[in-house]
Amino acid sequence: MEKQQFYYDNKIVRNFIYASIVFGVVGMLVGLILAFLFLFPNLTSGVSFLSFGRLRPLHTNAVIFAFVGNAMFAGIYYSMQRLLKARMFSDLLSKIHFWGWQLIIVAAAISLPLGYSTSKEYAELEWPIDIAIALIWVVFGINMIGTIIKRRERHIYVAIWFYIATFVTVAVLHIFNSLELPVSLSGMKSYSIYAGVQDALVQWWYGHNAVAFFLTTPFLGMMYYFVPKVANRPVYSYRLSIIHFWSLIFIYIWAGPHHLLYTALPDWAQNLGVVFSVMLIAPSWGGMINGLLTLRGVWDKVRTDAVLKFFVVAITGYGMATFEGPMLSLKNVNAIAHFTDWIIAHVHVGALAWNGFLSFGMIYWLIPRMTKTKLFSEKLANFHFWIGTLGIILYSLPLYVAGFTQASMWKQFKPDGGALQYGNFLETVTEIMPMYWMRAVGGTLYLTGVIVLVYNVIRTVRQGSPVENELVEAPALAVISPNRLKGEKLHSWLERKPVQFMLLTTVAILIGGLIQILPTILVKSNIPTISSVKPYTPLELQGRDLYIREGCVGCHSQMVRPFRSEVERYGDYSKAGEFVYDHPFLWGSKRTGPDLAREGVKGKPFNGGRDDVWHFNHMYDPQGLNEKSIMPRYQWLIKNELDNSTIQDKMRTMVTLGVPYTEADINNALKHMDEQASKIEANLLANPDIKKSFGGNTTSKLKDREIVALIAYLQRLGTDTQVKK
Amino acid sequence: MSVIYLLITISIIVAVLFLGAFIKAVKSGQYDDDYTPSVRMLFDDELVKENSNKLIQTEKQKQKSI
Amino acid sequence: MDTENCFHCGNEIIKKDEILFDDKKFCCNGCKTVYEIFSQNDLSCYYDFQAAPGATPQDIQGKYDFLDNEEIVTKLLEFQENTTHIVSLYIPHIHCSSCIWILENLQKLQPGISTSQVNFGEKKVRVTYNPEKTSLKDIVYLLSSIGYEPYISLENFDEGKKKVDRSLIYKIGVAFFCFGNIMLLSFPEYFEVEEYWINQYRGFFRWLIFGLSLPSFIYSASGYYVSAWKSIKSRMLNIDIPIALGIIVMFVRSTVDIVFDYGQGFFDSMCGLVFFMLLGKLFQQKTYDFLSFERDYKSYFPIAITKVLPNGTEESVQVYDIEKGDRLLIRNQELIPVDGILISEKAAIDYSFVTGEAVQIEKKSGDKIFAGGKQLGKVIEMEVLFSVSQSYLTQLWSNDVFQKRVEQQHKTITDRISRYFTPALLALAVVSFIYWIFIDVQTAFNVFTAILIVACPCALALTAPFTLGNVLRILGNRKFYLKNALVVEQLAKVDTIVFDKTGTITTNKKTSITYEGQILNDFELKLLKNALRGSNHPLSRRLYDFIPNQQKIETISFEEVIGKGIFAKFEEGSVKLGSSQFLEHMSENTHKKTKVHVEINGVYKGSYVFNNQYRKGLEQLFEQLTPKYQLIVLSGDNDGERKILEKMLPKSTLLVFNQKPEQKLNYIEQLQSNGKNVMMIGDGLNDAGALAQSNIGISISENVNVFSPACDGILDASQFDKIAFFMKYSKNAMKTIYMSFGLSLLYNVVGLSFAVTGKLDPIVAAIIMPLSTITIVSFVTIMTNVFARSK
Repeated sequence: MEKQQFYYDNKIVRNFIYASIVFGVVGMLVGLILAFLFLFPNLTSGVSFLSFGRLRPLHTNAVIFAFVGNAMFAGIYYSMQRLLKARMFSDLLSKIHFWGWQLIIVAAAISLPLGYSTSKEYAELEWPIDIAIALIWVVFGINMIGTIIKRRERHIYVAIWFYIATFVTVAVLHIFNSLELPVSLSGMKSYSIYAGVQDALVQWWYGHNAVAFFLTTPFLGMMYYFVPKVANRPVYSYRLSIIHFWSLIFIYIWAGPHHLLYTALPDWAQNLGVVFSVMLIAPSWGGMINGLLTLRGVWDKVRTDAVLKFFVVAITGYGMATFEGPMLSLKNVNAIAHFTDWIIAHVHVGALAWNGFLSFGMIYWLIPRMTKTKLFSEKLANFHFWIGTLGIILYSLPLYVAGFTQASMWKQFKPDGGALQYGNFLETVTEIMPMYWMRAVGGTLYLTGVIVLVYNVIRTVRQGSPVENELVEAPALAVISPNRLKGEKLHSWLERKPVQFMLLTTVAILIGGLIQILPTILVKSNIPTISSVKPYTPLELQGRDLYIREGCVGCHSQMVRPFRSEVERYGDYSKAGEFVYDHPFLWGSKRTGPDLAREGVKGKPFNGGRDDVWHFNHMYDPQGLNEKSIMPRYQWLIKNELDNSTIQDKMRTMVTLGVPYTEADINNALKHMDEQASKIEANLLANPDIKKSFGGNTTSKLKDREIVALIAYLQRLGTDTQVKK
Repeated sequence: MSVIYLLITISIIVAVLFLGAFIKAVKSGQYDDDYTPSVRMLFDDELVKENSNKLIQTEKQKQKSI
Repeated sequence: MDTENCFHCGNEIIKKDEILFDDKKFCCNGCKTVYEIFSQNDLSCYYDFQAAPGATPQDIQGKYDFLDNEEIVTKLLEFQENTTHIVSLYIPHIHCSSCIWILENLQKLQPGISTSQVNFGEKKVRVTYNPEKTSLKDIVYLLSSIGYEPYISLENFDEGKKKVDRSLIYKIGVAFFCFGNIMLLSFPEYFEVEEYWINQYRGFFRWLIFGLSLPSFIYSASGYYVSAWKSIKSRMLNIDIPIALGIIVMFVRSTVDIVFDYGQGFFDSMCGLVFFMLLGKLFQQKTYDFLSFERDYKSYFPIAITKVLPNGTEESVQVYDIEKGDRLLIRNQELIPVDGILISEKAAIDYSFVTGEAVQIEKKSGDKIFAGGKQLGKVIEMEVLFSVSQSYLTQLWSNDVFQKRVEQQHKTITDRISRYFTPALLALAVVSFIYWIFIDVQTAFNVFTAILIVACPCALALTAPFTLGNVLRILGNRKFYLKNALVVEQLAKVDTIVFDKTGTITTNKKTSITYEGQILNDFELKLLKNALRGSNHPLSRRLYDFIPNQQKIETISFEEVIGKGIFAKFEEGSVKLGSSQFLEHMSENTHKKTKVHVEINGVYKGSYVFNNQYRKGLEQLFEQLTPKYQLIVLSGDNDGERKILEKMLPKSTLLVFNQKPEQKLNYIEQLQSNGKNVMMIGDGLNDAGALAQSNIGISISENVNVFSPACDGILDASQFDKIAFFMKYSKNAMKTIYMSFGLSLLYNVVGLSFAVTGKLDPIVAAIIMPLSTITIVSFVTIMTNVFARSK
């Protein structure tokens, strides 16, 4: 009742900021390495854990969950305490949240390079880490809701709503997308419980909403807090911001399928994605305009104040990304842009401008406030701003060009209309190498800016005196209605705490829903099955897992879209029925290299007829086959011996997921593998060079090497539906 | 494709939850005043505050407003 | 920041009484004190959010003594319990961020206060305090002392805890939710006619859609069923009948469709329709929370008044409890609540508030004084003749206009259209039903329902709300605040405009003084000024200020005849000034103007004329209006200014003088009985009756935060000259509505062509419905803005 004195927890905010900065640098550094791997494919040759396929998920995860994630937590922990006039619910939970999250990141940083990956984008982490994420996320939720409950300010500012939405939705998305069955509790390996088309749909339902609710809603919340705060004037229209939130929340969840246009996903689902993605532009731009107009009247301040500059570019970036998004989900645009670097440019505008710059602005504003000093150097901050902005431009523009160029080359037919103009995929790659160079430069500039930030922050903290706990004073929340004081039943107690009430119901309903729904998924699903499609043989299954481990899916799609140009280049377009045994699906989202859906099919004009020897040599030294190739070497596949210890468990797991392996298949797995491997070995040894180097009595037989399994898988691709001559 | 049972159910459940939250918020009068909160959030309640830069910027504002 | 404006209140600083306090300039002690209070409690951030946000605190000695009275306090409190009291106070001065900041930091200024929360829109602060530590009175004094004097009147006294109705918001929320999700689930069927997947999930989708449509159908749309039913009972076909019909038919037909697997039904269109129409409703609900259009005398009168008991002790009693024979104490600036007899030997009373007349009136002991006058000068005592309700002024409100007004049924334009639309629609439906029944019963039903579905006049119903809502906003931005959308329609119909004189076409702020007669030399002026110095008569005071400074000289004798004039003797000579009778000098119609005649050493010099000032742009305004409207000026005072007005205003203008409030009312009534649509523009309580009686009463106000009598609209005085534009604008608004009616009918025709031929696919309906809505909304929005720009 009376006014109370208490402390805001600045320490936790500071920690998250530091973590964000550190992992930001790491994540972007990895990104930069990847950018240079485009230019020098064998930069990290021979070092399996530094290979492109394994670093790519590390980069995305580091940037999304470590850099942006930590920044977002910092922003939430800072603004929430102040908006609710209360210290975080529990310091212990805050600590657990912080350290837990960092542990997860470290775990990711170790497991991904080691090849433990589910290959589902932005959800590559394996099951034990998934569980950890879920737990820590709940801790975060409890901490947040607890704070909301013990708040001293009755009104829940719109930013808080965005945070709540983030928590609830991400929890749901993460749980359902990460439903996977471990091969054995002792190992990291697991298989997604969904197969093929279903897996794809769930993955992109998650994939898109991860962007929506991890990269967007929390940052919108932060925008609605920090922009007015820094500009020291109320948001342009608070009413609009409220409408913005609720309309966004009611329709955002639907946009996922636009990542799967022209795939084997049912058309109606695709159209659904399109329409809702297009509708999204309204709320998104409402928010953007609201953010920008908040700065009306302080543009003079923007000219001088680095923080506001960062915000302006961030919001503009949000506007561009949310305009481009709907555009890209239009089928005809998507037909061009999908699988190209256009998408890479698109996401980086979002990440570098919207998330990155908003975070930087926030950091530059928070650090001095929490150390009770001025920023060490406005100049450096401004320098960071300009070099960063330049970096973004140099990064994205070339990639737009690259994407468009490559796409049109892919679709280009010879004047006579007969064959493809650029039948050799590699031609389309060499064409855009200059763009890749510029991209690398842009990335470097951006990273330089961040390093300047690091220096600036260190100096600022040095000269200041950090206030770990900020003394504040605010009156307790006043009683509103007398009946409150009367003895009340549990339910009314819940109702009084809407958020808590909401959480409990979520859990309740979700559990209820699961019990009813999961069975229908686990049983053989009602996809129009193609009789000729058979489960993978044990060896192929192993090969497939290698394909997943090495992150081949990062550069090679396995989804031929129904365009003449693609059918011409890769073979018959993909049907839903082909993927019924694919746990997980491997459609991919980017074609740095050619599509492999029909790799095994012989007698195709361009990439057909590749025999085992070709694949062997290709893995050993791609540039040996074509010196222009940007495929990195995968020589360890040839050295390493294949680990078959878990193959039976794997097959059993598959059986549980509805793949029809018989007991016999499982028992004879090893025998069967040996037979299949021996055939391939024979093919390989038929080649004199290979015979020379591997024929002799080496430590392990060639057939026991990983490469054989991978070849087996590659040669299997597409053969099931191949028309038998 | 039976997975769409799952996805749609979840999506709708989530939507319903937010609808509930929305109604609750309105009921509890959260949105009766849709201006003051946006100003209120600008005020700091720190007891030890560094007035220095704040005042400077005030002066600026005054020049403008006069 | 070196400027001549007060650091606290921003007013111009008069050099001589400028105050310097820690190197900041203040215009007066009051401002300085407030600044001191803030800086002592380190609340000086008050000045950070906005430069010079403050107001000079007024002296309110004893004004709020009635807050000692327990039961009064109890009535004012919003929530009460032993250690917690919550009160909401209306504070007109709330206008900026600084106000919010300081008012939400009250606890730093007064220990007992625990929280205070501002509602900027309503200009209210909600204070929670501990009655053991402080009291409502202390809080009110605190607020006043920092320039935020709350306004407490009878009004908040008997207003109960008013219940806010949020149902519309719920309905919209639910409608949007249903609409959005149903859209989603409908897409499959839009795109795929026969497709493997659809066949798999058709049932699931359709029933899910059905389920989702229920809340929208049952809850969100409920309002339309009710109003449709009402209008059927009252035998007037309003627009909601076809709407309700359409919705129900849609639902039934759709349900039938999915039950018998005929198709997916029209649930999507139905929910969309409901959502959009509710949106329209919401859009129309533009309200100005900080204004009240329903004020009667209650909002002017103090809650309580100091009563002198026979034994001489004073106590504050509620105005209602005042009885005949009570003796009351009226302080400076206080309002006289009841009619009574003056007991103190003299008093100056300002009736401007009742009559609009700027000049104070002198009353002598024994004179009758009327409720509504404001007492100026030192405390007076009076004896009550009538209780509040029977007093002369309050009698006005017992007039039935104030009662009947409430349920005054006004037919909206939409209703008038639908009088024809609805029957036509039904007829069409029936006819085509009969036509088809001979061909194919199945189609007959389809067609019948399809017609009702397509023709469901969503766009039609949306037109007026969106147009009027937008107009309301635009006018509001131009400081012309209308009570609700209906008023705009009314405005367009007006053919007669009645102006009150004083305070409406004249400003009652400053009245200029002119001198007629032979010029006075400095010596005469000196005598005059010194003579005036002695008098307290308001006119004397004004004249005194008007005459330039003169050196001071001793009077030999000074006599003032109350209500007549002054006679002063000096060494140098004598001065006699006052009314013409007093000077026994009969010049032409002297009594028609407010004059002070001057006679020096027995020689008549001339007279000072106090003439009212007319609002700027008055002539042009009347010029613009005469062609289209019958203009009438209705004044409470004598026809002193007839000549001037006749000169200024167009011939056709009618001038009527000496109108008592109820006469004004009757005058309007009579105009109306001659079939006129009257708009009354007035101010002050004396116009209250007329304002209420007229088709539209607009009250003009120098400061919209101070009070205006019950009316349909409040016009900021500064916008007076724009009235012509507003009238034209309202007409244009109606034009817009008619045009978009045309548009929406067009859509209906298109839709019907599908329906009548029995070819209405859900997809068609689903496209037409939002399409029409969007076109209509954007059309009216654009038009209204265009008209607003064209001046």
